[in-house]
Amino acid sequence: MAANGSPHSFRLNAVDRHGRNIDPTVLAAAEEVFPRALDHGLKLLGDAAVIANALEEVAAVVSRVVARTVAARTDPVPIKNLPGYIFRAFVRHVNRLKRKQLVLVTSDGNEQASAPRWADPSREFEMKILVDECLAQCDFVTQDMFWRRVQGFSWADIGRIHGLTAHAAEVRFRHALQRAHVRLTNGRRQLETDDSARLDRRAEAHNA
Amino acid sequence: MPKNKRRDINEDEFFGFAKSYLSEAFPNPQRIGCPPESDLISMATCPNERHAPVSEHLTGCSPCFNRYINILADLKRK
Repeated sequence: MAANGSPHSFRLNAVDRHGRNIDPTVLAAAEEVFPRALDHGLKLLGDAAVIANALEEVAAVVSRVVARTVAARTDPVPIKNLPGYIFRAFVRHVNRLKRKQLVLVTSDGNEQASAPRWADPSREFEMKILVDECLAQCDFVTQDMFWRRVQGFSWADIGRIHGLTAHAAEVRFRHALQRAHVRLTNGRRQLETDDSARLDRRAEAHNA
Repeated sequence: MPKNKRRDINEDEFFGFAKSYLSEAFPNPQRIGCPPESDLISMATCPNERHAPVSEHLTGCSPCFNRYINILADLKRK
């Protein structure tokens, strides 16, 4: 949970709610992105305290990544643009939290399968996650294809830039999108399984 | 119909949605971590691996995304 009295307008705790320590450098970077994280998180989660907790959790995980990187290298290479890295990790973490909320809301079977694609906020949110996951998993070349395709470049133009045929460029991008889609589907199934097991346990406890 | 059956992804819809989403979802008024304009132009005209951090930045910064899209639009017109 955030506290007051730091060089930044908000100060995060040096330990997340699971008791994991946050590296001071990571903590400073997390505090730097806190205003952006708050702005983004409020739209999805709506609670500043939840957002601060989420950012601390992300900072704790990133601290471990940094520690492992330093331990594994004789010549440690710091993460370039640490605040940006933390912010993107935070976005993905918030997506997971939000997705879990949506699974809980829709698991009663009332999903509007016949509704227009964007009439349902949960579908729109899934597309956001798909875009985020796709970009997060893409290598540089595939990301570059993404930017150009967004702007309406043809696959022939995109392929030419990267020394590929139009077909090869399209297939490369489609595979990346497919991987993100599969990951999203599997993640949702896992959340539903977890939720179903939790409800079963609750029912058993209630009946006992 | 299974309750969680997904529709196929339509490419036009996907990229249209992505453009609208990325152009607004990540305001960065303090321009934290933003690369210089020259890096965006360089990535648009001659993309290579050294631009990877710039490309990563675009995934979480709407102002830079919008600027880069405009640069690409100019490039496409030429």
